[in-house]
Amino acid sequence: MTIQDFDPYMTAVISNRIDSIIREMTNTLLRSARSGVINSARDFSCSICTGDNRLLASAEGLPIHIFGSHLQTQAMTDFAGDTLSEGDCFLHNDPYSGNTHAGDHTYLVPVFVEGEHLFTAVAKAHQADIGNALPTTYMAGAKDQYAEGALIFPAVRIQRDYTMIDDVVRMCQSRIRVPGQWYGDFLAGIGAARIAERRLKELCEKYGKATIKAFIDHWFYYSEQRMINVIKSLPKVTLKNSGRHDPFGELLPDGIPLNVEIRIDPENAMIDVDLMDNIDNIDCGFNESEACASASTIAGVFNSIDTSVPRNAGSFKRINLLLREGSVAGKPKFPHSCSVSTTNVADRLVNIVQSAFAQIGDGSGLAEGGMGLGAGCAVISGKDLRNGDGDYVNQLFIANSGGPGSPSADGWLTYGLPVAAGLMYRDSVEIDELKHPMQIDYIRVLTGTGGAGRYRGAPAMEVAYGPTEEPMEVLWPCDGTVFPPRGVRGGQEGAKCRHFKVSANGHAEELESVAAITLNKGEIVKGNQAGGGGYGSPLERDPKRVLHDVLERYETAERARDVYGVVLMQGTAGELAIDLAGTAALRAERAHA
Amino acid sequence: MKYRVSVDTGGTFTDVVVSDEKGNFTTGKSLTTPDRIFNGMRAAIAAAASELGMTGQALLADTTLLIYGTTRATNAIVTKTVAKTAFLTTEGFADTLLLKEGGKFNPHDFSKDYPEPYIARRHTYEIEERMTASGTVSRPLNKVAARQTVETLKAKGYEAVAVCFLWSIANAAHEEAIGAMIEEIMPGVPYTLSHRLNPIVREYRRASATAIDASLKPLMQKHLRELESDLRAEGYSNQILISTASGGCSTIEALSEKPIYMIGSGPSMAPIAGITYSRLESLGEDVIVCDTGGTTFDVGIIRDGRPTFSRDTWLGERYTGDLLGISAVDMRSIGAGGGSIAWIDDGGLMRVGPMSAGAVPGPACYGRGGTLPTVSDAAAVLGYFDPEFFLGGRMKLDMEAARKAIGTVANRLNLSLEETAFRILGLATNLMVRAVNDVTINDGLNPRESTIVAGGGAAGINILDIARELGCDRVILPKTASTLSASGMQFADIVAEEVASFVTLSSNFDFERVNQTLADLKARLETFRKDKLGASDRYRIEFFGEARYLAQVWELDTPLASDRFASQADLDAYVNNFHDVHERVFAVRDPESPVETVNWKARLTVLIANPETSTGETSGSETAKPSHTRPCYFGGGATADTPIYRASDLAPGHRISGPAIIEEPTTTLVVGPGDTVIVSAAGSYLLADAA
Repeated sequence: MTIQDFDPYMTAVISNRIDSIIREMTNTLLRSARSGVINSARDFSCSICTGDNRLLASAEGLPIHIFGSHLQTQAMTDFAGDTLSEGDCFLHNDPYSGNTHAGDHTYLVPVFVEGEHLFTAVAKAHQADIGNALPTTYMAGAKDQYAEGALIFPAVRIQRDYTMIDDVVRMCQSRIRVPGQWYGDFLAGIGAARIAERRLKELCEKYGKATIKAFIDHWFYYSEQRMINVIKSLPKVTLKNSGRHDPFGELLPDGIPLNVEIRIDPENAMIDVDLMDNIDNIDCGFNESEACASASTIAGVFNSIDTSVPRNAGSFKRINLLLREGSVAGKPKFPHSCSVSTTNVADRLVNIVQSAFAQIGDGSGLAEGGMGLGAGCAVISGKDLRNGDGDYVNQLFIANSGGPGSPSADGWLTYGLPVAAGLMYRDSVEIDELKHPMQIDYIRVLTGTGGAGRYRGAPAMEVAYGPTEEPMEVLWPCDGTVFPPRGVRGGQEGAKCRHFKVSANGHAEELESVAAITLNKGEIVKGNQAGGGGYGSPLERDPKRVLHDVLERYETAERARDVYGVVLMQGTAGELAIDLAGTAALRAERAHA
Repeated sequence: MKYRVSVDTGGTFTDVVVSDEKGNFTTGKSLTTPDRIFNGMRAAIAAAASELGMTGQALLADTTLLIYGTTRATNAIVTKTVAKTAFLTTEGFADTLLLKEGGKFNPHDFSKDYPEPYIARRHTYEIEERMTASGTVSRPLNKVAARQTVETLKAKGYEAVAVCFLWSIANAAHEEAIGAMIEEIMPGVPYTLSHRLNPIVREYRRASATAIDASLKPLMQKHLRELESDLRAEGYSNQILISTASGGCSTIEALSEKPIYMIGSGPSMAPIAGITYSRLESLGEDVIVCDTGGTTFDVGIIRDGRPTFSRDTWLGERYTGDLLGISAVDMRSIGAGGGSIAWIDDGGLMRVGPMSAGAVPGPACYGRGGTLPTVSDAAAVLGYFDPEFFLGGRMKLDMEAARKAIGTVANRLNLSLEETAFRILGLATNLMVRAVNDVTINDGLNPRESTIVAGGGAAGINILDIARELGCDRVILPKTASTLSASGMQFADIVAEEVASFVTLSSNFDFERVNQTLADLKARLETFRKDKLGASDRYRIEFFGEARYLAQVWELDTPLASDRFASQADLDAYVNNFHDVHERVFAVRDPESPVETVNWKARLTVLIANPETSTGETSGSETAKPSHTRPCYFGGGATADTPIYRASDLAPGHRISGPAIIEEPTTTLVVGPGDTVIVSAAGSYLLADAA
């Protein structure tokens, strides 16, 4: 296409409409879903792909969910072939044909306009349960996909002619814990995709199919153009970075080493992201699916460039991903398990890509963000006898890891994980206690836990909770207990995750990074997520920010002096103030030390 | 003649609307005087009075009711001039206001600091106590430690105290005990207890409302006292009511107790005006109200004759601002208006906003030094404004500056000035349509079956385009479009709400306790009505459940048919109402699922507005004569000589076919080719049915 064809006006008008449609999908799914993981935490994403399986738009979606949705629509068109028809809806959760991990159920609705398959509406929602061998969607210890135990749906038709295929529903209801909750989420997911179908058809009717098809080309062209401009403004450079996921039992005593090489070629406006130099698949749930390996590295790139570049197949064309078959951070070799692929290794990949960009120079890239799904994000389950003899299973979202320091701001407090980047919601304590027989003892931000820096990482959060009646199963696949999030350009690392099981008599036993415990009444689990890494030297931090941190108890006066080189004193009004001369002297001394 | 006066004190202007017994409206405007609000109010009342040929004092002497709305509370929060407030919370939960409910917009944007909490952490105090979800005491209140904390608050000179404990809605004893300690130790210092103000589940929402409310009390109580004494000194002796976020009015006393309800109380009146105008023209009970100002475009809806309410109103941006948490009339605002700036991004795409030229320097055409191309400049270049007669002649437009500004975009697009301006306006329309869509979708309202009522000075430029894009063929631009909020107050009733939290399932429905809860709510409202308002038989009390399917967490307002559940049939009817609401909003129903009601709500409406009667159909058969013509551009490559009508050229029954421009003193209505408007009996402009 030539630039003369580009219509700056209609492209803007229709892209606004498409955004609107995705927001309507999002609203529908959030408000009508049953499980807390969707309706409280917003652990879901909506997107629209083209009929030829290119990601078109994904407003407000989680990057880890979205960037591979075209692989899933591809699986749908491949499997369905000529039988693909209006009124179909497909369920997809197969990590070997494009899904993130089996715990995300994806609803795919092909949208036909005048008989032509023009779009596919995609709604992907993380489930509270999928019928795994253990009551969790994160099977860290599964030796392979068979050991996970969940039903796998490689683009399986669940509706034909807008009518439910009840066989699939019965299969799920026979295998998935708390089937009523699952069914409510299932209806909500299909509802969201169907709403998009209706709106996309209205859009085509309003503007005509030809205009919409032209828009699709123009939107990809525009997005690619934005990406070209961004890459052309970068230096020609090769960035190498490494990281390491925490050890896991006897299987991975040294953790999982990870390597990335990023080659920026401004002349041809291309970025190579090379993950070839990584170890082979491992016999546990930490392997990356292709969708997650791609999405996490692309997210790392997008975190490091102009944030207004649209995220779609147009801009992605300028990122050349090199993945190795059979690698832990590449394309997995069947039947390796990818049960935990949306978080742990994916979080590390986001981190090593965004922090690699910091090597370009001051003002580029980000520090590492806090990683690890700890007790504050555990999957809990058990019996709830308050309303008769019922069961519950759900993932909590009550504590978050801290965000990374950036070239211009401190870390985001409710960041969560690198793959979620603050988008997810937090549970209400009261709603959690209403829905589950549990009591939460505290949720607090820990002083002095954000990685120090010119812009510091966000501090860590700590929680404690336990069951009020019957025993509670608590499972989480944490990370960051051994290898904390690192700072960049002189910034320091954030606090590590730590977790304890506390018995009724107060005895606290420290837990491993990946935990599966049972709590009886009177016992609690307590622990903290990670703090974010810092950006730049703490000695360059604006003393006013340091003072504010001390006043607001994010930092102590000791750390202000020892780490930041800022001396505080009693001001005239009785509150703390900055000792300017003392600070200048101390910082000068530190700089020479 | 007896009058009713409504006053809307905005950040810049104070609007006054005066109605007489025959329903005639007169308006007055003056600059707001923040130091003493009454000075600006007096000037605006005098301006309206002089239109009526009398003095302000004489007008007030003949006034039977004065209704006041203000942005004062909102401004105090924005400018951080609220009281020094302490936040008291359950031990272990000091960070409730800091952590909020999570969420963020752009996942790749790391350029902004995390927002400060509404009350700083250093002003937050943890109290040793804990209730459980079922209302039992999990940890008794440590009274000794609590007293020490309250003594500390006194010593530190806090001016207000906000108290929000976990599950105080299930058992209020600990909050009550702290309230008593505050009264004893810090007498006269205002405080707010969360279970009294906003008894809803979800600690952040309750805490945020409580913190905002407490922090406003010293300031707003003083403000209302001053206002009342100033009005009395001016000789006004009748009732004063205050407009509220609940979409009605209430007494000074009630709002001194819950000043949070004064936030957004002006804009919440716009939907009231909307439904009144729609009924006046017999255009139905579903209304979309669009209020276009210089920097924002506000949308609200009326469904089945009632405004929609939301507990999701943010002060400031969603996620990063502070949540009001109370059930307030749902007016959504986007940053788009006459001042929005047009630009071309580095990928060559046309954009409008979110940057705005604001009031200063304002659009280039205002001639105050602005050089960037705005939506108003586009309208000026298109010929839609008379440069010599803008705002009824109160301002002259700098057309040269407007053309120069639009030229910067035209050069990039390689299009004529007019075509560029036309597309800028088109894109602004597109953004506004998206905003309307977002709001209507949220409540399952179909724009095609609704009536648009437009307000705000800049509404008329593209309201007919917005309607066309939405597929809506019923549009009203009222005569009072530029003072929609103050006009709405004229039609407002006294509204009071009481809420109680009691969770029950339809499958295991606790008839007795629900009926008791409803009876309590009713009794509280009856007491308020009898004690504070005097006997009046023109009132109603309606009941709602905030309900959801079991395991959902977001509730929908579900109406009850009566004030108690007498039988299973009553429950079935209520549950069926819920299924209907759920299907309307989310397009699915789950008839097998139990319905869980979380909160029960009663709303008292005491009717004080003069009942409006329809003025009947207007045939719109007469043709008006334009005062002159002017070249205007409506797309298609060439300008057309376009008839210009002044308000004085028009009378009820006139029919104006586009292209045409109608110039009212405070707004301009653009009628595009193919559109026809008629002047209704009430003097409003209506889009005529597509001919």
